[in-house]
Amino acid sequence: MNNDEFYIGWMQQAPKGFAVWIKKYVFALLPITIALGVSVALAQKKFGSGNFEFGTLTTVTGVYSHSPVPNIKVFDGKDFWGNKNYITIPLIGFGKHGADGVIADLENETNIAFEGKELALKGTLLYNDGKLLMQIDANDKPLVMVNEPAGKVPETLQENIGIIDIKGEIVDPKCFFGVMKPGEGKPHKDCAIRCILGGIPPVLKVTNDEGIQHYYLMVGEHGEKMNDAVRDYVATPVTLHAKAVAYGDWIVLYVQPGGLQHYSYMREHYSNNIAMCGKRCVE
Amino acid sequence: MGTSYSAVGWNRQKRIYDQVIAGCCVLYLVLFVLITVTVNPDCTFETVLLRSTSTLAVFILHVILSIGPLTRLNKKFLPLLYNRRHLGVTMFLLSAVHAVFGILQFHSLGNVNPLVSLFTSNTHYGSIADFPFQSLGFFAFVIFLLMAITSHDFWLHNLTPKTWKTLHMFVYLAYFLVVMHVMLGVIQYETNPVFVVIMISGAFILITLHLIAGMAEVKKDKKAYRPEEEGFVQVCDVRDVEESRAKIFCIAEERIAVYRHENKIYAIHNVCKHQGGPLGEGKILDGCITCPWHGYQYLPHNGQSPPPFTEKVSTYKVKITGNTIWLKPTPDTAGTTQQGAAVPAE
Repeated sequence: MNNDEFYIGWMQQAPKGFAVWIKKYVFALLPITIALGVSVALAQKKFGSGNFEFGTLTTVTGVYSHSPVPNIKVFDGKDFWGNKNYITIPLIGFGKHGADGVIADLENETNIAFEGKELALKGTLLYNDGKLLMQIDANDKPLVMVNEPAGKVPETLQENIGIIDIKGEIVDPKCFFGVMKPGEGKPHKDCAIRCILGGIPPVLKVTNDEGIQHYYLMVGEHGEKMNDAVRDYVATPVTLHAKAVAYGDWIVLYVQPGGLQHYSYMREHYSNNIAMCGKRCVE
Repeated sequence: MGTSYSAVGWNRQKRIYDQVIAGCCVLYLVLFVLITVTVNPDCTFETVLLRSTSTLAVFILHVILSIGPLTRLNKKFLPLLYNRRHLGVTMFLLSAVHAVFGILQFHSLGNVNPLVSLFTSNTHYGSIADFPFQSLGFFAFVIFLLMAITSHDFWLHNLTPKTWKTLHMFVYLAYFLVVMHVMLGVIQYETNPVFVVIMISGAFILITLHLIAGMAEVKKDKKAYRPEEEGFVQVCDVRDVEESRAKIFCIAEERIAVYRHENKIYAIHNVCKHQGGPLGEGKILDGCITCPWHGYQYLPHNGQSPPPFTEKVSTYKVKITGNTIWLKPTPDTAGTTQQGAAVPAE
């Protein structure tokens, strides 16, 4: 650069020495821009395979039950022994809301209690990992038909598994099974809290040693909703002490009093050592 | 300099500068989206939008913050400094897409106002692992917003340069908030170390550049000057100052620019009234000391901007003994006319 060159921004053209230097700098920035874009895009964790059929309304017909969470059971053929199989479809509302409000409004409008009735409901399906849920929105006029069920109502209580201790992450099933990706973990924590506080039933996601994931609906000890109670535990590792009951294709966890705790790796793996250390320290 | 405000004083340089910014942004966004869609076909539009805009904004923020120290180390970076606000506004627009869409995505359609939800959904403010990182991003965004809407010279003039500069120095707080927003947020979810490496490398480069540039200035500022009679101190030889150029001396923690103009030596306060640019690194053009940052001009003998402009800087008395320049470091009132000291004939 000529020492006498002087740059002023309001000039039409930068002096040659400045222009040449800045061109070199921009050309150096170019590969950095490309490298960053490529590496950051490649480094992202794989997105989940969940699906939310946004804009597509599907009508499903099944038997409605309000317990343990609003759901309809849809007949799905017979099993090997000739018993009727049902798919349980938990219902959720629009946005970050549960389905209770929509169902209550529909019951008031029709003056019919839906429990045990056969309903045809129109809504938006979302699904992943073998679980199917349906969003019902008052604006879609979701109630297509309500009837007395034809034949025997499926048994609800199928198997009492017993008291278990289990470790996992509490997620809101609406986002996790299709609406958002990722619908779990720290970046999604606030949204999951808001969804669960809005009435969407909390689900415990458990990953076993083989990396296979299982999902459990969560309610209180007596089947009451525990949406508010899980608020501080959403999207973090937790342990549950709960009674597990299988309802067809969903297992429901009745969380025992004091049975929901933050998971502590130290407590699980080193509690004895810590105690021994404490003893030695005392000595 | 202009006598009236216009949104942007376009010239060829600015157009090229903006085209380069736009080109790099488009290149980054297209690459990010194409690779994500190809490698992760299950991705969603919302997440790709949030991630592409946020990562690009963080990258641009690093570039913006590196321009200051780079310019102090090498004057050839001045064209980047002059147009830095364009980069700032671009970064703000990208962060606005990320912030607004993030609030809509994660906090709207719930049972409370989205902004209330932002601060009250996760209340583990006392925990590092569970800290609600979105709140950090929110405050960083507020700083960027204030900086972007006050970036124009209209605000610089009306807020006063000192207030304006103080406000814009909050960019360093915003940067810290952004780093913590990323470290306590998405990095806790992602498993690839690339994200941590990039963030730490970026912070390391910025800190190093600032330290190197800062230390170089501190070294210059620490030079001691012996006071002589009548309060004058000896600063340099007249042959050390080129015609139409200056040398800067830091005496009693004030930087003073000693200029040579038409074989006379003048001294003025080194700090430009516009954005605090170093006047001593400028040049005399058309008889006016011209600030290297944004071209603001002052007359060397009285430190006043030529009419109709009204900016004034302090002036200092100088004298020459033999070939030695002596400077009285006590400033006279801004705009005070000085006789200057005649350079002896060679």
